[in-house]
Amino acid sequence: MTNRQFLLIVAAAQGVLLVALIVLIILNRWIRLRRSAKLHPRRLELDAVMRRWTLSQAGADDVLRGLSRLPVSLAIDALVNWSARVAGERWQELSHALEHQWWARVVRANCRSARWWQRLECARFLSVAATQRDIGRVLRLLRDHHPAVQIAAATTLERLTSPVLVTAALEQLPFLGPTVQAYYASVLKRARPAVLRHLQQLFRRLDDPRLPRIIEFAGRLQEPVLREPFTTLATHPDAEVRTQVARALGRFPHKESVAALGYLVQDEAWQIRAQAVRSLGMIADPATLPLVREALRDREWWVRLRAGLALTRFGAFGRNVLLETEVGVHTEARDMARLILGLSPQALAEYAA
Amino acid sequence: MTHVIQATDLLILAYFLGLNSFYALLLVLSIPEIWEQTRLAEDEDFQRLMQSDALPPITILVPAHNESATIETSVTAILTLEYRSFEIIVVNDGSKDDTLEQLRHAFQLYEVPRTYPEGIATKPIRAVYRSRTRTRLLVIDKENGGKADSLNAAINASRFPLVIAVDADTLIEPDALLRLTRPFLLSSKIAAVGGTVRVANGCTVADGRVTDARVPRRFLPGIQVVEYLRAFLFGRLGWNRLGGSLVISGAFGLFRKEYLHAIGVEDLDLVVRLHRHLRRQRIPYLIPFIPDPVAWTEVPESGRILARQRERWHRGLLAAMWQYKGTLCNPRYGPVGLIAMPFFTFGEALAPLIEVMGYVVTIAGLALGVVDLPFALLFVLVAWGYGMLLSLWAVVLEEVSFRRYRRIGDLARLLAYAMLENFGYRQRTVWWRLKAFFTVWKHRQVWGEMTRKGFESAGKQVAGQARD
Repeated sequence: MTNRQFLLIVAAAQGVLLVALIVLIILNRWIRLRRSAKLHPRRLELDAVMRRWTLSQAGADDVLRGLSRLPVSLAIDALVNWSARVAGERWQELSHALEHQWWARVVRANCRSARWWQRLECARFLSVAATQRDIGRVLRLLRDHHPAVQIAAATTLERLTSPVLVTAALEQLPFLGPTVQAYYASVLKRARPAVLRHLQQLFRRLDDPRLPRIIEFAGRLQEPVLREPFTTLATHPDAEVRTQVARALGRFPHKESVAALGYLVQDEAWQIRAQAVRSLGMIADPATLPLVREALRDREWWVRLRAGLALTRFGAFGRNVLLETEVGVHTEARDMARLILGLSPQALAEYAA
Repeated sequence: MTHVIQATDLLILAYFLGLNSFYALLLVLSIPEIWEQTRLAEDEDFQRLMQSDALPPITILVPAHNESATIETSVTAILTLEYRSFEIIVVNDGSKDDTLEQLRHAFQLYEVPRTYPEGIATKPIRAVYRSRTRTRLLVIDKENGGKADSLNAAINASRFPLVIAVDADTLIEPDALLRLTRPFLLSSKIAAVGGTVRVANGCTVADGRVTDARVPRRFLPGIQVVEYLRAFLFGRLGWNRLGGSLVISGAFGLFRKEYLHAIGVEDLDLVVRLHRHLRRQRIPYLIPFIPDPVAWTEVPESGRILARQRERWHRGLLAAMWQYKGTLCNPRYGPVGLIAMPFFTFGEALAPLIEVMGYVVTIAGLALGVVDLPFALLFVLVAWGYGMLLSLWAVVLEEVSFRRYRRIGDLARLLAYAMLENFGYRQRTVWWRLKAFFTVWKHRQVWGEMTRKGFESAGKQVAGQARD
């Protein structure tokens, strides 16, 4: 074959491909239009049935029939959308009815699929339709390596009460990315009693590398029974643990919290001092005013900023300290006091956020 | 002489085959990537995440230099983004027009003291303003120092861990920020994420939002729609799989602030510097591109301004490749050193030189009778056909995934532009990029001005299209 013949073959192949691509584009649009025209009335029909079902004017069988007429992904979307609008018991009835549907069985089996999107579909389905028999599947999905699957599986905890799942989610918490972790935490807050029991056990494992993340989460719960473990951890050798403790204690206005923060505000690490002084501002106990005033002279800019902002929470006492410092001899404290006094209430509120 | 021409011809042929095989690889890799990204984009659990406290707060950096025409619309649009926690820092980079006055008037700015240390050195700050009407807005007025200097000033002032740089002439879709944070939710290794930039010319814009996506009827902006689709939808998606994307659009990219603090922002080489820093520090990282967050930008409508833009872009590319030549084929930098840098150096930076050399050698070969005319014409036909295939493939990816252009007329125009791009327009871009070599040769670092028309209101825009 000569070079020219080879190029001719390539050119011909390109021509065929070009035509094929154009046909593909046009066909794709046509098929989508047809599919949407076919499915849209079915979706509307299902919405109508769901509405009647919520008013007890239609039976669960009608809903199941409507769901089975849609492609699985659309049926799951519809379930997820409607689950937020229907009361618990009634929805549980539907969840139990769904157990016997063939398509729901296939979706459930996908919890072991090698393809993450199939596991995601299963997790989304279980997040609204799981029953006690699905705990093993949800457990598996909670431990999935794909964060999208983890997020969907964690949502199940909103509907399914199970100490096993709560423990598994809590165990998983420190290994997750920060945002997925925060999402888990918001879900776990709803299962408070089981969470508190398990947290108290975790706090006893002082060498556990997961401890900072566990404290971060526990702080968000603002549960009084957790205050004592926090104050005990104020002397922990790990700086990250102490930072999280300093942050969490601001949410517990108690004399023991103040004592622990008084210790942390003198820590070697500036991040811990900044957090501690911020928390002292949140508690705003007048007895701690000298500590915050001292922090205004800290060698680190961020600690001075946090101290200045904390003083604004002490009302007139704090303002007087700032005014005194503004004309004081300590240059850096004076600059910071001047800066804080010049901030508008709006700017202060934004810093406090 | 004949031997030289034959050898050069062979070299160019090998280059053509190598480069196009790599494009074919990118094309193949873009298929699973778009499939996966579309799946994730449609996941409704992320919609639920949007309403939770789990989202990381974001700082939006808006450098503005002589952006009086668009600044109010852009900032208003950004302020209405669907995101729970974000702040906007607009940096007026010594504008000579009334950009600052426009902002002051529109958002009732008042001066506040500076409350942050200068982490990265920048040109002097004249004043810092907050808005009486929009608590999320901070405006920094500083002396002119260029876009990178403005970004550094904004990074110093930012409070949040993720920062996104947005050009003042860019319109971000309401849910784009939420979508852009998705990789940060899915992995803790993400250092930066790039989103898609699309062409706003010809679209209907209302209240700083693109309400109706259209393909422009005018040739130059229309053909840039195809160029942008090709660059974003298959080029960058393909690079995701190769782990070495060197490009995140300066107009729309989300970065982890701690890394920017470490390296500072310097013009067009930001992502290369980021790769180098993270590799040297042995920090595991990913810099992916995701296609569903969309920002719309106004592209040049006149050949003169487009020429200046392309020449400037290419000059930036040449400068970056030269500055980081140490990473080229260097295994220490992993896929960046072994795949991305060679591709961007030989396949992008030097491409105009090689293409022109190809034309010259072919003409010389024809004159000397070394090259057969039908063969040369056939070769050009195959080269152009391949270009058309790549552009059409970008249209296919758009159609099977996001389908922003709903009208049949727009689709027809897209197809037409994809076919016509190789006839005349491509050769013009080669010439513009070639001019960058001359400019670099003469050490002239003149940055061109981009003339903005400003986004028109819905009515005006439709009327404008009717006139066209």
